[in-house]
Amino acid sequence: MVVRDISQRKRFLNSGNVYLPHIAVIEKIIEETPTIRTFHFNIKDDKVREQFTFESGQFAEYSVFGVGEAPFCISSSPTRKDHLEVAFQKVGRVTNAMNRLAVGDEIGFRGPYGNTFPMDYLKGKNLVFVAGGIGMAPLRSLIWNVIDNRAKYEKVTIIYGARSPDLLCFKYDLTDWQKDSSLNTVVTVDRGTPDWKGNVGFVPAVLEKTAPSANNTVAVVCGPPIMIRFTFPVLDKLGFKPEQMITTLEKRMKCGIGKCGRCNIGDVFVCRDGPVFSYAEIKGLASSEY
Amino acid sequence: MKKIKKSDLNKLLSQWQQKYSVFAPSNHGVVKMTAWDGKDTTFLDWYRNTVVPPKNNFLPGMEKMFDIKKDAGYKLEVTADDTKQLIFGVRPCDARALALIDVNFKDGYEDTYYLNRRKNGLLVGLGCTSPCASCFCTSLNIHPAESQDVDVMFNDIGEELLIAEVTDKGKELLAASSGLSDATAADEAKAKEAKEATFKKVTRKINTGEIKERLMPSFENEEYWKNVAAKCVSCGICTFLCPTCYCFDINDEQSKGEAARFRNWDCCSFAVYTKMPMENPREEKWRRVRQKVNHKYNFFPMIYEQIACTGCGRCIRQCPVNWDITQVLSTLPEKAKA
Amino acid sequence: MTDTEKKLQDKAKELLEQGKVEHIIGYAAGSLKFTTTPLITKDKDDARQLVINPFIVNNLSVFLNDIKGKIGIVAKPCDARSIVSLLQDQQVARENLVILGLPCQGLIDLRKVERLTGKDRDDIDDITRNGDKVTVTTGGKTQKFAAKEVIFDDCLSCETPTPPEYDFLFGEPSSATDKELGRKNIKELEAMSPQQRWDFWKQEFSRCIRCYACRQVCPACFCTRCFIEETEPQWLSPLPRWQDNLLFQTTRMLHVAGRCTDCGECERVCPVNIPLRSISKKVEEIVDELFQYKAGMDKNAERFMTAYEPSEAEDLMR
Repeated sequence: MVVRDISQRKRFLNSGNVYLPHIAVIEKIIEETPTIRTFHFNIKDDKVREQFTFESGQFAEYSVFGVGEAPFCISSSPTRKDHLEVAFQKVGRVTNAMNRLAVGDEIGFRGPYGNTFPMDYLKGKNLVFVAGGIGMAPLRSLIWNVIDNRAKYEKVTIIYGARSPDLLCFKYDLTDWQKDSSLNTVVTVDRGTPDWKGNVGFVPAVLEKTAPSANNTVAVVCGPPIMIRFTFPVLDKLGFKPEQMITTLEKRMKCGIGKCGRCNIGDVFVCRDGPVFSYAEIKGLASSEY
Repeated sequence: MKKIKKSDLNKLLSQWQQKYSVFAPSNHGVVKMTAWDGKDTTFLDWYRNTVVPPKNNFLPGMEKMFDIKKDAGYKLEVTADDTKQLIFGVRPCDARALALIDVNFKDGYEDTYYLNRRKNGLLVGLGCTSPCASCFCTSLNIHPAESQDVDVMFNDIGEELLIAEVTDKGKELLAASSGLSDATAADEAKAKEAKEATFKKVTRKINTGEIKERLMPSFENEEYWKNVAAKCVSCGICTFLCPTCYCFDINDEQSKGEAARFRNWDCCSFAVYTKMPMENPREEKWRRVRQKVNHKYNFFPMIYEQIACTGCGRCIRQCPVNWDITQVLSTLPEKAKA
Repeated sequence: MTDTEKKLQDKAKELLEQGKVEHIIGYAAGSLKFTTTPLITKDKDDARQLVINPFIVNNLSVFLNDIKGKIGIVAKPCDARSIVSLLQDQQVARENLVILGLPCQGLIDLRKVERLTGKDRDDIDDITRNGDKVTVTTGGKTQKFAAKEVIFDDCLSCETPTPPEYDFLFGEPSSATDKELGRKNIKELEAMSPQQRWDFWKQEFSRCIRCYACRQVCPACFCTRCFIEETEPQWLSPLPRWQDNLLFQTTRMLHVAGRCTDCGECERVCPVNIPLRSISKKVEEIVDELFQYKAGMDKNAERFMTAYEPSEAEDLMR
C-alpha cells in the first residue's frame, strides 16, 4: 500500500465541474443513537446512478443546500447496490441541518473521493476489525464487503464498542454478525446499564483480552482519536507490525480533491492520498498532526 | 520586438479594451489591479507592485460557484465567468505565482472555475525597475524584469516601453494591435542594461539549497517553531496577500428562498481553518506557523518539485509585526546528517 | 543606542537575571527600514536588542494572553492603557507584570511621510525626529516637517503622554498633541449626510479582505472564540461582502467600546487602508460623553460594560 500512488484514485465523472454535486434523495432514515443517524439514499439522475461505482473506504461530500457541505465516508458496501448509506453525528452546522431532514428530502452528493481499503492486500488474510462509536461507519462498508465475499478471507474478528449501550451504532448489523458463525463478533461498552448483558470495558482492553493472532492478519481500526492511540500499542503487543495495522483518518476535508489545502499531514493530503493509511505510513508522516 | 511611447500606452490599452476587460494597477484606497478607467496610465510613474496580488483576478476573494434553485426539487445553476481579462502590469513574481497555482489546480481533478479564468485571461507583464527592500525574487530564480510566465512582456526603456511577445496568445495580441513601432538594436541594448541594473537591486537573499536540507530535520523542533511563532498575531495578511497562496473555503448562503454556494480565500494562520467539531490538529499557533512555512518550502516542493514562493516580499512588508520569512528560513536549526 | 535605551536594556536584563520575570516583551529593530518588531524572549542576552524609537508601533499587550508566567512588558501610554483595561477585565494579573513604561511623544506614520514626500518608504534614506521637527532625507535632499504633520492621528489625540500604570519609567514625557487635527477624519465624516456616510463606508468596506488583522492586533479583542467564527448560529457571513464586512467591524467596535484605548493599531495594520480609527475613536467619544468613561486610565475603576447606574436605564433600554 503506497500512499502516494494516486493511480488507484477512483475518478467519478472527473470531467467538467467537480464541485457541482449530484442531487440525491433520502429514502430511509435510521436513528442509530440520540445524535447519530444513517441515511439510505440514491442519486436522483438515472444515468448517473447506474454509472456510479465506489470502493470501501472512500468518502464523499454531502450537501444540505443553503447550509453547506461536509465529508463522510460511504458506510454501505459496494457489494450492495440497492442504495447508498451515510452515517453522521450531529456535531456542527452541516450535521445539525442534516439531522433536520426527512425521508424524501434532497441532499447534494459528490464523490467518491480518496483511496480505498487495500482489497488485494486483505485477500487470504485473517481480519480483525476494531471500531468505536461512529468509527464503525467506514469499517462497516468493508465488513459487509468481506461477508459478501466470505470465501476470499480467513478468520474474521470484529471488536466494537461505544461509551454506553444506547450509543452503539448499527445494532441491526451487530445482531446479524453475532448470529453469523463465520465471524467472531465482540461488542463492548465502557459503562454498562442494568439490562446490558454484554461485555463491559474499553475497546483496546477488550482487544487485548480477545487476543487475535497476528499471524497472517491485518487489523483495521477506526474510532475516536483517543481509542486509536490506545489501540495501536495493544496491536503492537499482540505482535502486529505497523504494516498490519490500517486505519482511516478524519480531517476537515472541504473540497475533497486536494485543492483547498486544510487536510494535509506533511506532504500527504488526507482527502486525496487517504483517508486509508497503514500505521507504517502514518508513522512516516512529517507531523504529529494526525 | 516592438516598442511604444509611454505617452501612447493609453491608446494601446484602449484598443485592447475593445476586446478585453483591461485591468491595470490603480490606487483607490489600496494598490491593486482594477478595471482600467480608459485613460489613466500615470501608474507608470509610481507603480512598484500591487498590494493585493493579481491572483485576485483568477481566484477572487469570493466567488459564486453556483446558484441553488428550488422548485419541485433542487436545481443547481452554474454561471460560468467567461470574462476575457487582460491584466496589464503584472510583475514577474506574480506571473510565476499564477503558474504555481496552475500546477495545483490542474493536478488530478481540474478546478474549472480558476482554470477557465486563466484560459480566458491574458497577462501582460511589466518588468520591475525599482524592487522593494522586501523583494527576494532572484533567490527563487525569478528575474525581476524578465518573465516567461506572461503572454507579453513590457520593459521600461526611458520614454518608451519595449514590448516582447512571449506566448502564442501574446503574439496574436500584438499582431492585432496598431500603433507599435519596431524596436531597434539600441533599444534592446538599453533594455538589457536596465534589466541587469534592476536584477542587482534585489539584495534580500535566501539560500534555497540550505533551506531544503534543513526544513525536514527542523520539523519536529517544537522549541524552535514556538520561538519563531511567538510574535505572529495569526492574521490573514501574509496568506491573503501572497500571490501563491490558494487555499480556500466553501460556504453556502441563503436568504428569502434564494441560495448559492460560494468559495472564498481561507488561511492556515486561522485556528478555525482546520477545526473539526471534536478536535483541531493545528489549534496551537506554532503548528500553524510551521505549516505555513513548510507548505511553501517543503510540502509543495515534495509534491510538485517547485517552491511555492516567488519572493514578492508582500508577507514581509505588509506584516503587522514584521515577521520576516527570510529571517526564519535562515535560522532553521537542524541539518540532515551527512 | 541612546541612554534611555541603555537603561531599558539594563533593567530588562536585570529582571530576567534576578528571576523577577520569565519573559520580556519589547521592541527590537525590524528587518526593513523604519520598522521594529516585537521581541519576546526569555534570554537575558536578548535584552540588548531592545530599542526605543519613533517606529515602535505595536501594542505589545496583545501578546499577554499568549504567554504564561511573569512578564516584563515595554509599554507606551496607549499600550499601558490597554494593559490597565485587561487588568480591569481580569485577563491578566498585575502581580504577573512588570511594566516598563515609556513616555511617548507620538509615533511616525510612514503613510503620512510617504504622502507628504511622494516617496515610497524604501526610497527614503532617513527619518529623524528632533522635538517638534521631523527631518526626512531622500537621495541627499532633506525635507522638514512639523511633527504634527507626520505622527499618527491617534498620537495627535493622545490623552496621556505618560503611561497611567508602570513600574519603571524610561525617558521624559513630552507631547505634540493636536486634538482637533487628530479627529480630522471624524470631523469630515460628521459633516456628511447619512447617505454620504453610508456611501463612504460602502466604498471603504468593499476593499476588506477579511484578514482579521484588525482583530488580531487588538488587545481588547481577547475573546477566545470570536462571534464571526460561530457557525451555530452563524451570525455573519464569512464571505467578504461589503455589508458583512461593515457589520463585522461595527460589531467588533461595539464589543471593544470602553476597552479601546485608541492605540490605532487596527487602522495601521489594515492592508487595504480602511480608516478604522474613524469608527473606534468616535465610539470612544460617545462612551466618554454618555458615561464619562475613558478606557484604561485607572485599574480600580468599575468596568464600563459591567457597571450599571439606574440613571442610565432609560437611554440604554430605549
